[in-house]
Amino acid sequence: MSQFGPSGATDPFFDGRLRLFGVAMMAAFAIFGLRLLQLQVLQGDELQQRSQRNSIRTERLLAPRGEIVDRKGRMLATTRPAFHLEVVPSELRDPERTLTVLAALVGDEEGRLRTSYGDPRGRARFQPLRLAADLDWERLARVEAHRYALPGVLTEIRPYRQYPHGTLAAHLLGSLGEVSPAELERERFEDYRPGDVVGKSGVEALLEPQLRGRAGGRNVVVDVAGREVEVLNRVEPATGQRVMLALDLELQRAAEEALAAAAPPGEPVSGAVVALDPRDGGVLALASLPSYDPNLFSGRIEAAVWQALNADPLKPLQNRALSGQYPPGSTYKAFVAAAALEEKLRTPTTTTFCPGGFRFGNRTYRCWKREGHGTVGLMRSLMQSCDVYYYRAGLDLGIDRLAHYAHGFGLGVKTGIGLDGEQPGLVPTTEWKKRRFGQAWMPGETVSASIGQGYNLLTPLQLAVSYAAIANGGHVMRPRLVLGVVEPGGALVEQRPVEVRRVPVSGENLALVTEGLHAVVDAPGGTGRRAQVPGVSVAGKTGTSQVVRLEVTAGKKGLAIPRQFRDHAWFVSFAPSEAPEIVVAVLVEHGGGGGANAAPIAQKVMQRWWDDKNGRLLPDSDEPEADATTAAATAPGGSRGAD
Amino acid sequence: MARIERRTAQHYEWWLLGLVFLLLGLGLTNLMSATHAGAEGVFSPNVVRQLAAIGLGTVLLVAAMIIDYRQLERWGWFVYAAALLLLASTLALAPVTRGNQSWLVFGPLRLQPAEFAKLAMVIALARWFHRNPPASIRRLRDLWRPGLILVGPVGLIVLQRDLGVAVLTLLIGCTYLLFVRIPARAWLAVGSVALAVLAAVWLFGLEPYQKSRILDVVDPGRDPLASGYQANQSRIAIGSGGLLGKGYLEGTQTQLRFLPTQHTDFIFSVLAEEWGLAGASTVLVLYLLLLIWGLFIARGSKDRFGALLAVGIVGMLFWPTVVNLAMVLGLGPVIGVPFPFLSYGGSAMMASLLAVGLLLNVSLRRYMF
Repeated sequence: MSQFGPSGATDPFFDGRLRLFGVAMMAAFAIFGLRLLQLQVLQGDELQQRSQRNSIRTERLLAPRGEIVDRKGRMLATTRPAFHLEVVPSELRDPERTLTVLAALVGDEEGRLRTSYGDPRGRARFQPLRLAADLDWERLARVEAHRYALPGVLTEIRPYRQYPHGTLAAHLLGSLGEVSPAELERERFEDYRPGDVVGKSGVEALLEPQLRGRAGGRNVVVDVAGREVEVLNRVEPATGQRVMLALDLELQRAAEEALAAAAPPGEPVSGAVVALDPRDGGVLALASLPSYDPNLFSGRIEAAVWQALNADPLKPLQNRALSGQYPPGSTYKAFVAAAALEEKLRTPTTTTFCPGGFRFGNRTYRCWKREGHGTVGLMRSLMQSCDVYYYRAGLDLGIDRLAHYAHGFGLGVKTGIGLDGEQPGLVPTTEWKKRRFGQAWMPGETVSASIGQGYNLLTPLQLAVSYAAIANGGHVMRPRLVLGVVEPGGALVEQRPVEVRRVPVSGENLALVTEGLHAVVDAPGGTGRRAQVPGVSVAGKTGTSQVVRLEVTAGKKGLAIPRQFRDHAWFVSFAPSEAPEIVVAVLVEHGGGGGANAAPIAQKVMQRWWDDKNGRLLPDSDEPEADATTAAATAPGGSRGAD
Repeated sequence: MARIERRTAQHYEWWLLGLVFLLLGLGLTNLMSATHAGAEGVFSPNVVRQLAAIGLGTVLLVAAMIIDYRQLERWGWFVYAAALLLLASTLALAPVTRGNQSWLVFGPLRLQPAEFAKLAMVIALARWFHRNPPASIRRLRDLWRPGLILVGPVGLIVLQRDLGVAVLTLLIGCTYLLFVRIPARAWLAVGSVALAVLAAVWLFGLEPYQKSRILDVVDPGRDPLASGYQANQSRIAIGSGGLLGKGYLEGTQTQLRFLPTQHTDFIFSVLAEEWGLAGASTVLVLYLLLLIWGLFIARGSKDRFGALLAVGIVGMLFWPTVVNLAMVLGLGPVIGVPFPFLSYGGSAMMASLLAVGLLLNVSLRRYMF
């Protein structure tokens, strides 16, 4: 049986099956061909894009944040490069050994690095993993020196915010933090990405758009291990704009030092100092104690530090200058005096007799001076802060007319400084009381209100703004934090002063009040004589605001009273009284009497201002700016632009 | 010998040899690109080794052409036994590398006996069906002997944990089922048994990663970064090649090494990325030509052994192509099977060239009786 004959004719069955095999092959290859057509032609564009997405990485180059300088160009906040230690797990030859070596190089615990390293799997193995943040210069140098022997180890450079003066002006400057998911929802943050740094408080938040700059970027071709193969294009980041504040660094320092020095032995001090230029509202100093170091927020703040700051009973994060609300005490008398003069209820020559108290209703309202001031005119009422004079003046005005004038001085509303957490204070009216408590206003409450007790509340900043309005002839200025923003070319684009309102009191009457305030400091027997500055005519007013009813502290004096029951000490002053150029408001929480405890602080600030002005200070030893961190800005891969 | 030489000029078999070497040339060119990234100079170590394998393979091809293939019929059992011995010694001696135990190492030489065992099995099966004409086999139980011939190498390869080659060897052996006269209802029964076995293998025999690779075929997006990563990157590479490709050495998926095992299992993706639909379909057509040509050789053979040998060799070239293309194109599971003549791999290359030599041998001797 020869199926395979010499002619080549084969068994038809075998032949048929061979044909079947051939057809099956062609069918299989036809399917492959169609699949190729589908992938390469129909889905070609989409898969082409996916291959690009695979290999082209778009990196953001973060813009260094703009610098913040004071009115004389002294650095308040700058940006330095920070170096992070990263590894690409897939590139490590021997992860265990590498971690051991790195721990030795950066002087960190090996366990901590190991925890940061974790157990990367899958795609994560190809992506950089941060092991240690913000290496200092020395540790960075050690890692760099050994990098040739450590494949897969990278140092990543990112701009970091730095506040060279630490806690100084911390509340005013503010701090940074990562943009929150809630913020990302808002239109203002539409071009932000998770992980971006944003100003969270202070000037950092207020001027976020100017300070932030514009992130650049670059497209790089990377291989599967994430290694850069080629740079396709690069857009340089635009550094944020330099912002010049009205702040005077040295005055701020003087204010904080003077306030800190007011601490009783073994006790903390808390309070605020605000210094304004009454001519344009410029904020020369804005101090709040206790303070904190905003540098802590530049990196990722440690949970323990954050908790400690929040749990501190003295609330160091609070900006007392504008979110602390206190009864104004006798500092309020200047407004009552101005109102009474303007309403012609008093003249400079009308007098009131002070027997040491005032009987109203069935209650006696005491003057602080038990033995009484005797016959008191306008000048002496301010100079010696006679309560009875103002009880009567306040009653003659009535609470609503008094409120009208208080509002006229800018009280009871926010000053509009632009910083977060500002409180409006409180100027009570009959209508307010009805709304708030559903009760009618009691005339006796007017008596308390006219010496700044009762419901009245204001912030140290408001007090400074309202006294600035007395000093400058009736202009309520919006506190001016920023003198201007420096354009890329170097020109200062000024932010103009803004007048919020005019005080409804004539210039003559304000001059009369100023005369009385001058006497407070200057005249023998004045309550604010400790605020005197030699060679300068200072006008001012003391204030002592009760925290609790007198009965609570009965029989005790000074430091014998528990701190939380002690009076708040106020002092507010401006100078020179004939042409004022600076207003200083001081509040010492639980500081006791204003004349004794707050006035000396204002004096030191004023003194500093005039020392500086008259060139009696040593020439400024400006901070050395070309230090190591600045030099590092030119390190490879630096994303920091030119200064 | 002299007889062959006289007739050679008239025989178009030399065109077949030309076709094979055309494919080899394309393969080498493509391999140079696939191993270009990170390599110094034009010839990467892989290309050099591949060239050596082609050289040795060509010697084997010539040797396989020169001897009379009918000698193999006589020595078939010996060849088969030698192959089994080689597989067994691999199991005994070879180190486990990457989960497999399929390499015999002699100094610089590394041999994968399974690649040669496939050819030995084809020879043994051709010999058996030569003596028991397939057209006369009408019952399933008549197949138990060839079944045993099949089980020997497949079983040993499974023991080496080289699943891809085992499946391939099984498929190659099953090529012969096409030529037996067993009625359809019997195949239905076989089919259901096979299904049951597959189900059992799925439930008890497969590692989780193997299961996910199969599931990835059904749903390519289910795990694109882990088990589906390879197939996904392959799809991207092929598709992004478009009509005319990205150009030689310009494939981003290849040169930036996003393609996994691009010089072995996924070599075709490299070709498709850099040469596009034009290049990929050209190679497919050349391949189909080679396979169909092989069938014509089987048809033209004077004796049954030659025909069956040719059919087996066509199966040896066809099945890895199908399994590899299905994997690369995302139509089948990811199984580590090389693409004949294109993939890097010395043993597969030498075994394939040896097989082509036998194919030519059958073709050349069809007028000799």
